[in-house]
Amino acid sequence: MVKTERLQQADEVEPAPSSAWLTGAAAWFVPGLGHLLLKRWWRALLMGGAVWACFFVGMAMGGHLFDLYAEGSSTLLQVPPMIANLGTGILYIVSWVFDYGFKDDPAQAARATYEYGNTFLLIAGLLNYLNMLDAFDIAAGRKP
Amino acid sequence: MRHFLVMTLFAGLASVVFGAMAKDTTRDRVFYGLKVFAEFMLIGLVLGWILYFIP
Repeated sequence: MVKTERLQQADEVEPAPSSAWLTGAAAWFVPGLGHLLLKRWWRALLMGGAVWACFFVGMAMGGHLFDLYAEGSSTLLQVPPMIANLGTGILYIVSWVFDYGFKDDPAQAARATYEYGNTFLLIAGLLNYLNMLDAFDIAAGRKP
Repeated sequence: MRHFLVMTLFAGLASVVFGAMAKDTTRDRVFYGLKVFAEFMLIGLVLGWILYFIP
């Protein structure tokens, strides 16, 4: 395909309506809310529920949430896991406000399920990014 | 045993999301979710055995 054809196709793609962006933002902020707004009840329950479950299971296992501050570690190394954690939206924000799950506690790190908990917390955020994109696509009419 | 249960839980939750957002029909979604779940479990077990022999 020549470049001009590709540019023409790009021009033909309709821009997403502002409601789609709002739905995407809502889906990020509260896992499952985006699909609830779109009246996709089952998707909201399954996809949002999976994120909430992942987060609370991760917390129950003693997982650790990441922010930019870390003792004895580079700030740059904190950025990728923080982006993943941030995907849980309000769950991350509330935890951050109450400083719950962020402390580097050796006793917590010694738990057998500590790394599992970290993984569940990271995956909760990443799954919610998928939820957000799915809700956005549905709201924009790009997906049935 | 606990490790296996955690892996199963992880595979279940992740495959629910993957299955729900993929494909067009409910039937396809269910099969895709099951397929992803099976893949997670299989790959997890294979990696577990490989790592078992690595000191």
